[in-house]
Amino acid sequence: MRRRMRRLPHLTSAFAAVIYVLLYAPIVLVVLNSFNANERLVEWGGFTTKWYSEALADSRVREDFLASLLVAVLTTAIALVLAVTAALWARSASARARGWFDGSTYLRIILPEVVIALGLFLLLTVLEVPLGVGTIVAGHVVIYSAYATIIVQARMMTLSSTMEEAALDLGATPWRAFRRVTLPLLAPALLVAAMLTFTFSFDNVIVSLFLGGAETETLPVLVLGLIRISISPEVNAIGTGVMLITLASFTITAIVATFRPTGAGMLIPTRRKDS
Amino acid sequence: MSTVPRRPRRGWRSPRQLLLLPTAGWALALFLGPLVLLVVYSFGSIDLLTFQVQFGWTLSNYGDVFSDLYLETIGRSLLLSVGSTLGCLVIGFPLAYAISRQRGKWQVLLLIGVMVPFWTSFVVRTYGLVNLLDDNGPLADLLQWLGLVDNLRLLYTPWSIAIGMVYTYLPLMVLPLFVALERLDPAVMHAAADLGAPPRRVFRRVVLPLAAPGIAAGCVLVGVPATGEYVVPAILGGDKTLMYGNVVANQFTGLGNYPFGAALAVTLTTLVTFVLLISRRRAAAEAWA
Repeated sequence: MRRRMRRLPHLTSAFAAVIYVLLYAPIVLVVLNSFNANERLVEWGGFTTKWYSEALADSRVREDFLASLLVAVLTTAIALVLAVTAALWARSASARARGWFDGSTYLRIILPEVVIALGLFLLLTVLEVPLGVGTIVAGHVVIYSAYATIIVQARMMTLSSTMEEAALDLGATPWRAFRRVTLPLLAPALLVAAMLTFTFSFDNVIVSLFLGGAETETLPVLVLGLIRISISPEVNAIGTGVMLITLASFTITAIVATFRPTGAGMLIPTRRKDS
Repeated sequence: MSTVPRRPRRGWRSPRQLLLLPTAGWALALFLGPLVLLVVYSFGSIDLLTFQVQFGWTLSNYGDVFSDLYLETIGRSLLLSVGSTLGCLVIGFPLAYAISRQRGKWQVLLLIGVMVPFWTSFVVRTYGLVNLLDDNGPLADLLQWLGLVDNLRLLYTPWSIAIGMVYTYLPLMVLPLFVALERLDPAVMHAAADLGAPPRRVFRRVVLPLAAPGIAAGCVLVGVPATGEYVVPAILGGDKTLMYGNVVANQFTGLGNYPFGAALAVTLTTLVTFVLLISRRRAAAEAWA
């Protein structure tokens, strides 16, 4: 019996290896094809950087990149403010109020994005608000501030308020105590929350698609449009660029998480070793 | 929380309650408001000539939702999302188990390996699958070389949507499963085996019950967003096999029938909320935090 139990790990390891290959195959394929000189992409036609220069020369790609960046930066900034204020509130709220608050936070994450985006689309149409960067940010914040809140709140719960109270006893104003004591303690969680919000916002398709209107288009929405028309080699180059940006923020978060394990709750749920 | 000393003023007038204002304001105006508006619209009707919306309390939109045409779409959507969730579970469980049996640096590396695709652009990843599953793509070449399948016809079928959803949602299944399995002490399994339980029985009577919270959390994390999925069918369905999310969106952006679109959206929300209520909410919450 024991021998059969021991053979199981080898089987699962082999299986896991296959899954890892499959997980990365589509990504590797996009990157490879972005350097593929063959226009129809049916076979390898030699190495080229032509698609990158074409994508970079495309003014639509440049405009959409800047729009995506602007949306992601604004969303991150607003989401962090909402997350920190909410976490500060939750610390002193009654258990019942917190229960309601947490429920509404999870609801914003778990409800289908299509419903949230279309509901907002309806509201903005009824109020005759012109669609653009502002409306995209409004939608992104609804969803991603919930993620940021959960991360910041989780960190806040592990902090004791003694240091903050000491600062207050020593005569610091509440604002100063917050800025000099609480905020630095929250920093790792804030960074993880910021990177997550930035990545998800930069990568968002559904909200950006419905709330961007005719004027504003983000990079992922452009990619979606290009895929649906036809498969052009340029898409691979744009796609590789988008992946590089999202991966860069992942790498930063991973490095921070490695050095400051307390902020990594969302990223890698390791067994808690804290007090 | 409990470490904070009770302050004299704790009512709604306390300045601390003002801290809730930004989040509450944003969520009420831009999350709850739209949901209420959807419910109001779903009971209204539209004049298809003038596109004027009449508000009333008609149930005709909901009648249309449950007409044969849309019921088929809803059924297909549910089947696809349930199937994809099970697919994620079947693939994710051995994967999470393999990761949980590793230690130290390897474990972290393997976990990061699962997370990297999740952080990589959603659209681009799905587009990568289009290349992979193409009739003349690498998968077709491989299967032909192995002599398994001669003419692969996979892309733009419901199967390619299912593959796409399993592929994109797999990390959300693996993480809660890993958390549950990592807590599992191998000694418990060895004890069961030493007492004469065959491996299948050890799995069914020991591993599975202990991993149940992780399984529940993973199924919620995958199944709920999969039900409203828009991007994967839009790319891998080739406009032929549409799912619920696409049908709802089409009512708003394509056909302009807001009341019917609202009824579809409210039905989807009700469905999802129902699933959430019957599932164990705590398990899902734990996996996110």
